[in-house]
Amino acid sequence: AAGSISGLYVLHKEGDHEDLAPQLIPLDYTSCPDVKVPYELIGSMPELKDNPFRQRIAQVFSDDGDGHMTLNNFLDMFSVMSEMAPRDLKAYYAFKIYDFNNDDYICAWDLEQTVTKLTRGELSAEEVSLVCEKVLDEADGDHDGRLSLEDFQNMILRAPDFLSTFHIRI
Amino acid sequence: MMRAVLPLFLLHLAGATEEPPQKPGLPGEPSPGLALFRWQWHEVEAPYLVALWILVASLAKIVFHLSRKVTSLVPESCLLILLGLVLGGIVLAVAKKAEYQLEPGTFFLFLLPPIVLDSGYFMPSRLFFDNLGAILTYAVVGTLWNAFTTGAALWGLQQAGLVAPRVQAGFLDFLLFGSLISAVDPVAVLAVFEEVHVNETLFIIVFGESLLNDAVTVVLYKVCNSFVEMGSANVQATDYLKGVASLFVVSLGGAAVGLVFAFLLALTTRFTKRVRIIEPLLVFLLAYAAYLTAEMASLSAILAVTMCGLGCKKYVEANISHKSRTAVKYTMKTLASCAETVIFMLLGISAVDSSKWAWDSGLVLGTLVFILFFRALGVVLQTWVLNQFRLVPLDKIDQVVMSYGGLRGAVAFALVILLDRTKVPAKDYFVATTIVVVFFTVIVQGLTIKPLVKWLKVKRSEHHKPTLNQELHEHTFDHILAAVEDVVGHHGYHYWRDRWEQFDKKYLSQLLMRRSAYRIRDQIWDVYYRLNIRDAISFVDQGGHVLSSAGLTLPSMPSRNSVAETSVTNLLRESGSGACLDLQVIDTVRSGRDREDAAMHHLLCGGLYKPRRRYKASCSRHFISEDAQERQDKEIFQQNMKRRLESFKSTKHNICFTKSKLRPRKSGRRKEGVANAEAPNGKPPRDLGFQDTAAVILTVESDDDEESDSSETEKEDDEGIIFVARATSEVLQEGKVSGSLEVCPSPRIIPPSPTCAEKELPWKSGHGDLAVYVSSETTKIVPVDMQTGWNQSISSLESLASPPCTQAQTLTCLPRNPLDAEEPQAPLHLPSDPRPSFAFPPSLAKAGRSHSESSADIPQQQELQPLMGHKDRTHLSPGTANSHWCIQFNRGSRL
Repeated sequence: AAGSISGLYVLHKEGDHEDLAPQLIPLDYTSCPDVKVPYELIGSMPELKDNPFRQRIAQVFSDDGDGHMTLNNFLDMFSVMSEMAPRDLKAYYAFKIYDFNNDDYICAWDLEQTVTKLTRGELSAEEVSLVCEKVLDEADGDHDGRLSLEDFQNMILRAPDFLSTFHIRI
Repeated sequence: MMRAVLPLFLLHLAGATEEPPQKPGLPGEPSPGLALFRWQWHEVEAPYLVALWILVASLAKIVFHLSRKVTSLVPESCLLILLGLVLGGIVLAVAKKAEYQLEPGTFFLFLLPPIVLDSGYFMPSRLFFDNLGAILTYAVVGTLWNAFTTGAALWGLQQAGLVAPRVQAGFLDFLLFGSLISAVDPVAVLAVFEEVHVNETLFIIVFGESLLNDAVTVVLYKVCNSFVEMGSANVQATDYLKGVASLFVVSLGGAAVGLVFAFLLALTTRFTKRVRIIEPLLVFLLAYAAYLTAEMASLSAILAVTMCGLGCKKYVEANISHKSRTAVKYTMKTLASCAETVIFMLLGISAVDSSKWAWDSGLVLGTLVFILFFRALGVVLQTWVLNQFRLVPLDKIDQVVMSYGGLRGAVAFALVILLDRTKVPAKDYFVATTIVVVFFTVIVQGLTIKPLVKWLKVKRSEHHKPTLNQELHEHTFDHILAAVEDVVGHHGYHYWRDRWEQFDKKYLSQLLMRRSAYRIRDQIWDVYYRLNIRDAISFVDQGGHVLSSAGLTLPSMPSRNSVAETSVTNLLRESGSGACLDLQVIDTVRSGRDREDAAMHHLLCGGLYKPRRRYKASCSRHFISEDAQERQDKEIFQQNMKRRLESFKSTKHNICFTKSKLRPRKSGRRKEGVANAEAPNGKPPRDLGFQDTAAVILTVESDDDEESDSSETEKEDDEGIIFVARATSEVLQEGKVSGSLEVCPSPRIIPPSPTCAEKELPWKSGHGDLAVYVSSETTKIVPVDMQTGWNQSISSLESLASPPCTQAQTLTCLPRNPLDAEEPQAPLHLPSDPRPSFAFPPSLAKAGRSHSESSADIPQQQELQPLMGHKDRTHLSPGTANSHWCIQFNRGSRL
């Protein structure tokens, strides 16, 4: 519980987020730890405004995929992003972030979402789908036309720098 | 052999350089009238000598590289220094006085800028900024530490009486010496590390340090120098403060000058649309202007040029035309390499001049020991601190290489030469010591660092191009991390990068890039684009016969296990006939899945060269012909593809036909079978094939070739093939590695060039398990209108692996010229026939593909894996942009 509090505390203490949702924080943290920060608040943070993955991250780490995050969700996020977290865990969460439709596979549609977000919609639909095909093609180990977690891990392990830098220092 | 040749060669060259100065005596007499012949040496002397020196250096480089063994062991910088020593000795012996030395003025104004610009411009900026903290620490703290400790220790050494008393130097003198000897030299580091290939992080840290420590060196040197000149008694406390302040002024000022010029440069190139031709010139001019401006303001010039190159690259690359980019790249590399060569050579020459230096063993040995020791100590201490903050800590081995890689070079030498003898009485001793230190670090450490790196098993850099996945994930991860940092409210590295990128996107890019360039600036698309271009080029490089071969081998894969597959390829390759072209292609070319890529990017081709793309951007009135040519080339390319597709079709049918006919026959009559098979088809496929190859190669090779040339080339190609076919065994023995594109059509030459394919798509080779999947994929890209032929060929090919090997050979012989069909036949069989009926020697196959044919003895097991990785990577004939191909990426259906 203490950890959760500090998690929320971090969220609310730092700089601009101070008054993100003060009204949401109950006076007694321990009795109702299920306070959720609605996605609308997270997504409207000025720093996140331009980040293409803000919604996806919130969704992945939230309990029910709606983007509303509890304290525990925040803590989960931190632990995944910490240096201690095993690579597989990191890979798993990275995979989940890509997996927009939550079907445990990264399919062409998922990739198109990613590419579109990354390129801020500057590529035409045709270009996006071509890029996605190539991406899929590169990493698709079992040739089923979509990336399983295993494919994803294989592909990511081939460039070992990826995951080793996939953490933040808090 | 080298040893014998070199002195002679040098002697000759030295003679050449020496002779001219003697001549000018001739025209001294009053001329009686109109001179028929006048010798005007003095008027051309200076530029002539410069040109000669560069020529000497270049020729020396060529000589060095004649022997691969020498250059693989000895870094070029060592050889050049030694050459310089020899040349210097000759000059000294001939002219009786030392000439042509490394003048500090020349060095700083002309020789150093190209090297620094080159390194700054091509610096991997991402890597650089990722490690900026470490680089800055080593550059600033490390250099200061080295300077002070070395200086102090030397002073201590003197106090202890280990330095001869004739070395008249006080504490400040030693500090001055320490400051100039402590800086790691960018030229030396670059020269040595370039050949060592340590991993990128390590390289960028050492090299970045050597670039950025310039500011510190300059400041320290100047401060100490002025202190020495003032005399230690007169130095006030404020002077120390000024010294510290000047560190910031010099470094930040230098960086600022560089960035200002980078901005100007980017802005200028935005408007060069109609005068493409001066684009490369602008890059050099403004960068040089940055250097000179910083030098003029006595700021850190190296820093200025580095920042200029680093800052402008993104925008300049986007703005200038494709050709200008190539021009910039090559000119920069040429200049830098030239300057580097001259520097090392002159360094060697300068060392010969004994009038300049005075020897003191205590000082020399002490300096050597101290710089090594304190460098190591400093690195360890700093790394310990840095590792507390680094995401990826530097391990012990890294530290060893970093300590050992602290090479000193020409900068130190130039600085020590600049000392004023009246103010620094011990100058001569310092010069001698500097020379020894430079020689020791460049030669001894340069020689040993490679074995050391090997011995320590330092992670080498893997040269691989970014895959699309990497690019994609890198971006995504950046965004994710930035987002997480934002959510956390922690302003870390990613936060700043994210901010910067947004700023760049919103303002800088808008301001500095053309609209058209900005549009396609998107990196992912960029990478995709590049990958495709490269694929296309490599595909064409592999020769035009991919089609048939792809048809031949690939279908067999599903049914066979891996060994059988390899052997099929081997077998086919073994037969070295004209059609063999394809077979080599098979293994050099990447995965079967790449056929999808191929097909896809040919699909794309149509789109790529149309409006909105870079080619559109580079289209201007002045150069319309050029661009038209380019586009024409593309069209030719596409047309070739189309034509080839047709020929493919016909070949396909022929093959099947042949197959069925051939089955019952003996190997001796196979030729006829082929001939028969061809007959039904109106056009002999072989001719078509050649034509296509020729034309395709043409287009890619040189943009300027006309279509009309194709016929000539065609003939040549034919000859080439004949020749090679006969000489198969010969070539085999030679084991020559030549990946030259020009000779592409010759079957034997292609296989050594797998480097091409391997380089192109190295990530592909990562799949060990690839072959398993190919089967499912193989059948997917089949031209719709060729389905029947395809299926037939599949069935025929499945039987192909089992019949005697010669069978396959016939198939491959298809595209040969009827004339040669008889003659070359005999030699052709040589490699394959002697083998037991169905040997499929995998070792040989491997030999063909791996660079040395001689390595055939290596256990096949090792080689099999890579083979598998490659073998199926044939491009199916990339269909043209049109709908000939039905590409089913089956993911859709399976999902």
